[in-house]
Amino acid sequence: MNAEYAIEVRGLSKIFKGELGQKDVTALSSLDLNIEAGQVFAFIGPNGAGKTTTIKLLTRLIFPTTGRIRIFGRENSSPEAMRKTGYLPEQPGVYGYLTGKEFLDYIGRLFHVPAALRKKRRDMLLDTVGIAYAADTLVRNYSRGMVQRLALAQALINDPQLLILDEPMANLDPVGRKDFRDLILRLKDEGKTIFFSSHILSDAETIADQVGIINRGELMSSGGMENLLSLQSPEVEIAFILPEDKIPGLSLPENFSTGAGGRVRVSVEQNNVKETLGNIEAWGGSLVSIVPGSRTLEAVFLDKIGR
Amino acid sequence: MAVGAVSLNTFRETIRNRVLVNILVFAVAIIFLGLAVGDWSMGHQVKVIKDFGLSAMSLFGLLIAVFIGIRMVVEEIEGRTIYIIASKPVPRWHIVTGKFAGLALTLLLNIVLMSIALFAAGFVMESGIDLHLIPAIILIYIEILIIVSFALFFSSFTSPTLASLFTIVIFIVGHLSTFLRDYVELYPDKGLHWLYRIIYYIVPDLEKLNIKMAAVEHIGTNAGMFWTAFAYGICYMLLIHIITVVIFSKKDF
Repeated sequence: MNAEYAIEVRGLSKIFKGELGQKDVTALSSLDLNIEAGQVFAFIGPNGAGKTTTIKLLTRLIFPTTGRIRIFGRENSSPEAMRKTGYLPEQPGVYGYLTGKEFLDYIGRLFHVPAALRKKRRDMLLDTVGIAYAADTLVRNYSRGMVQRLALAQALINDPQLLILDEPMANLDPVGRKDFRDLILRLKDEGKTIFFSSHILSDAETIADQVGIINRGELMSSGGMENLLSLQSPEVEIAFILPEDKIPGLSLPENFSTGAGGRVRVSVEQNNVKETLGNIEAWGGSLVSIVPGSRTLEAVFLDKIGR
Repeated sequence: MAVGAVSLNTFRETIRNRVLVNILVFAVAIIFLGLAVGDWSMGHQVKVIKDFGLSAMSLFGLLIAVFIGIRMVVEEIEGRTIYIIASKPVPRWHIVTGKFAGLALTLLLNIVLMSIALFAAGFVMESGIDLHLIPAIILIYIEILIIVSFALFFSSFTSPTLASLFTIVIFIVGHLSTFLRDYVELYPDKGLHWLYRIIYYIVPDLEKLNIKMAAVEHIGTNAGMFWTAFAYGICYMLLIHIITVVIFSKKDF
């Protein structure tokens, strides 16, 4: 076990016992995972893939059937490990009878944050997540987006080194998502490790350094974003214009898509770019653009889960 | 200790909960209703009020213990706040003990307010405060704490409806257990004897904590009886709480 890893998971499995004659459900099967300190790790998978089960195991909300988890080199059950961790659950619940301020103060108390520091962090975090204006409003009067922001603030009240976020952007509007992405990048710059699950691939693509893809309780792939995106040789998209009167006589291959005004678009593999450009010249066409293509995370994801 | 933070939060929850206020107002109203009823009970007006007041304390304490006690755990789970609390560096026993302590504090406040109302009513009638009622009130409080411990125990592994039902059954059987055991001895079936003996030893004997009548009539109580009942109640409550802590510590959320 390596102390440089923020999260180290070995052979982690979780089987939920079936009740009253129902079958046992294997939610997670022999998961191994290493997440280096200071990285942003996106944990991607469809609903029921095992993302939340993994996160609940990391945060001790459920107990593993087999395997072990270390956080910064310590068992995740140790208070030292939990003190370094902040956690935002999926669809978080907050106490409606407390104000935003009181809620953060309560969570700060659970971490034994001294009173003066608690007050300072509470006010700063309410401002950071953009709900300082509702600090003294009862949480039961908050919108969903505000609850999500408050729950994010509570995950930061102990100034954690590791932040575990379960579907953090699910309840946010586009502005909220942008704010959230900016915040994650800022926290990363502060040296924090961020582990987040999502089914929103574009969010993961924008902010993650590493990505793990999980499906049906098994890790399908894990690695740097570049590695995943380059699993297939990238293609290049070429756009050009042909004289309209020439198009009928050329019998273009099927992968060439033609549009109005003689516009043509084609995706070719990199080693065929030269040949295609030669053809365009020979046909008397004029080049519009050459855009290097790459597989999107979505394509990798669908490929990995076999759809 | 996180127990303090959790109990303070639980206390705040119950105080800000209108259901509690409603029950309390209703209970105090019942005591004063006793004044009216007392008018019809020629010569026994003060005793009726005291009896009525102590019974109201017991009944409304039970209602708060069952309904708020069970809701406390269920709402943490259904409201998904347990995910935030249980993921913090807080041992699970601190959470469940904090919940218990917070509700115990609310019930203490409840019983103190109801006692003040009862003593005020008594003061109006006989120009004095009947200190004989205090041991009975303390034992009512201990009994309510036992019921809270059962409410938390049942709600840690079953549905709210069943937990409420089981807790109320414990309250009823707890008051009838000695009677049932003695009654069943009249029948020849040995199996039945054993069954009721087992029930008698599992279910708390809540009648041990019931000295209401003796307190009102100023008869039959002494310090020995009081402290025995007090110690019995505390031990029973702690035992049930320890079992709840063990269940809660191993629970998947």
